[in-house]
Amino acid sequence: MVVEAGRRSSPQSADALATLCEIYWFPLYAYVRRQGQSTDDAQDLTQGFFAHLLDKQTLRAADRERGHFRSFLLASLKHFLAKQWRRDAAQKRGGGRAPIALDFDDGETRYRIEPSHESTPEKLFERQWALTLLARALATLRSEFEASGKAARFASLKMYLGGEKSRVPYRELAGQLETSEGAVKVAIHRMRRRYRAILREEIRHTVDAAEDVDDELRRLFDAVTP
Amino acid sequence: MMTSPRNCPQCDTELPADAPDGVCPKCLVQQGFDSQTATADEAHGSIGSTSGPGFRAPSPDELSGRFPQFDIIELVGQGGMGAVYKARQPTLDRFVALKILPPEVGEDPAFAERFKREARALAMLSHTSIVTVYDFGEADGLYYFVMEFVDGTNLRQTIAQGGLTPPEALAIVPQICDALQAAHDEGVVHRDIKPENVLIDKRGRVKITDFGLAKLLGADTDDTAIGKPFTLTGTRQVMGTAHYMAPEQIQSSSSVDHRTDIYSLGVVFYEMLTGELPIGRFEPPSSKVQIDVRLDDVVLRSLASEPDRRYQHASDVKTEVETIVNDDPGRRQPVPNTPDLRPSVRDRLKAPAVGLVVAKCGRRAGHAGHPAVLPPHFRGRARRPLDSNADVQRDRGDQPGPWDRAGARCRQDVRPAVVSHRGGRERGRHAPIRPWRRHQPAVWYLGAGRAVDGRGAGGVCQGIRTGAHVTQRCAVRTRAGIG
Repeated sequence: MVVEAGRRSSPQSADALATLCEIYWFPLYAYVRRQGQSTDDAQDLTQGFFAHLLDKQTLRAADRERGHFRSFLLASLKHFLAKQWRRDAAQKRGGGRAPIALDFDDGETRYRIEPSHESTPEKLFERQWALTLLARALATLRSEFEASGKAARFASLKMYLGGEKSRVPYRELAGQLETSEGAVKVAIHRMRRRYRAILREEIRHTVDAAEDVDDELRRLFDAVTP
Repeated sequence: MMTSPRNCPQCDTELPADAPDGVCPKCLVQQGFDSQTATADEAHGSIGSTSGPGFRAPSPDELSGRFPQFDIIELVGQGGMGAVYKARQPTLDRFVALKILPPEVGEDPAFAERFKREARALAMLSHTSIVTVYDFGEADGLYYFVMEFVDGTNLRQTIAQGGLTPPEALAIVPQICDALQAAHDEGVVHRDIKPENVLIDKRGRVKITDFGLAKLLGADTDDTAIGKPFTLTGTRQVMGTAHYMAPEQIQSSSSVDHRTDIYSLGVVFYEMLTGELPIGRFEPPSSKVQIDVRLDDVVLRSLASEPDRRYQHASDVKTEVETIVNDDPGRRQPVPNTPDLRPSVRDRLKAPAVGLVVAKCGRRAGHAGHPAVLPPHFRGRARRPLDSNADVQRDRGDQPGPWDRAGARCRQDVRPAVVSHRGGRERGRHAPIRPWRRHQPAVWYLGAGRAVDGRGAGGVCQGIRTGAHVTQRCAVRTRAGIG
């Protein structure tokens, strides 16, 4: 998707970029807020940044060798913020383009329930990025379960997504689900495998090459490690 | 009312409030790594959407037609690199391991030549800790190896079944080193050292298998001699050893040499000691298990991102490990943060070579009991020699991740080290350690050495930016506030 968003100037590229922005705007918003901007200004700036990105096709101009969409986006945002004279740019921002749909109310709520961080805005950005990505992968997984009518099963199995250990032993879980312990193990195993595929696919959208996925995973791991 | 923080049952870290779906984000990310996938039983068929052509291991019956010279008993394992069967060779009345490679490799016309060349090199390897290759060849388009059958388990299974004690791990590492050194001497690089490839027989002897197979199958190369689809999709995905790959191996296979194996060995070593992979910012092993702190150096040096900073020979790793293991236990350094090391440190202070100790400052302790090396206005308790840590710091440069964690640990018990005016001596070599001012003691920090961290020591410290050399790194200037 990044490749699509960046390489060509086409309707698809604009769409692809807009999609990526809609997914990953919150980490950027959190970054701006963390920089000390008020709610309104931060919303304005985030929106303005995306408009700028879509307008100027910065993405296309970017050196695609840089690989990681995440770092590219953050670098662009920093650049944008540094350049931005908020007041006089406010009117020009967007250039008549309809702003893309970002749910700022939700964003502010999320920002507020964020624990107060000691960390730098960059660290916060990366962490939020990772969490957004994970939440998205989980949501996709959940919707797949729901589509096959197994929403309840997902709810009971998801705690095993992180690994084997859990507070509820398999046997107990098998009792709850009225199935055998072996079947539970298989189900968990399949779910985990599917989750892994989804997560990697999701990351694959934000990096240039398939080989970079592991590298990006390592960075995400860093980002979520307290 | 305070509820106790909920911890992740996997990694035992506190579950953050914003954990997606209440699942620990750290573990969720960890699940994304391919090596999680690469257990034998799931490598066949497609693994999610990213996997390439699947490899289904033929049943023993299916194979028996192709290998009339063997009685194929059972499938003992399979992965992206092929499948292994236990077989009996009636003529010699022995068990052998028959390894067949994925059939796709045969699609590449250049493979046959390559296979022959590489297999010959592998068959030349003869060492007690290397699985012997008896024979190799092609049967109806299926490439195979006949190898020594190791009756036992692999290190992955051993770790999974409750792990290893540090002494066990320390007994295994030298054997791996021996095997690697023997192979390296023959010019063979393993390229895929991981717990799955370290077999342990029933008598506890280590046998390394699959030497050079990664190269043969092009799993870590961009060699165009190998069928591209196979290289880029199938193998790469199911191999799942990215965790064990050295940075240069991930970046480009052309720079891979024997030191790549030393990195992978470091990963395995770390995993054996701690049960975890050294991913991201990781703690030195001694902060997780009760081991000699000097082993941290060995592990971390093996894990240096630049090959030049690693051990240059597998035998060096063995020597270091054995030196530490065989060292008089009385002089062994316990884990950090043990309360009072004064007697042992004092011992070391009397040793002529050590001009460098770490003193805990900002704490008023009796002056009389202090080692003579300390300047009189330094009052504090000597903690531990810096020399082992100095190495740690020296290697820090290009690996900010792990080292930051090391730094964080040290910051908890931030302790400036006193440097005598004559400079320190480190590992028998004069280190150009100079106090900033003649009459003011220079203070070293173990760790990231940022100035702000210095406040905990009770002194007012001005930090300096860390430089390229350990001698500059982490030094801070102090004022009389210390002691």
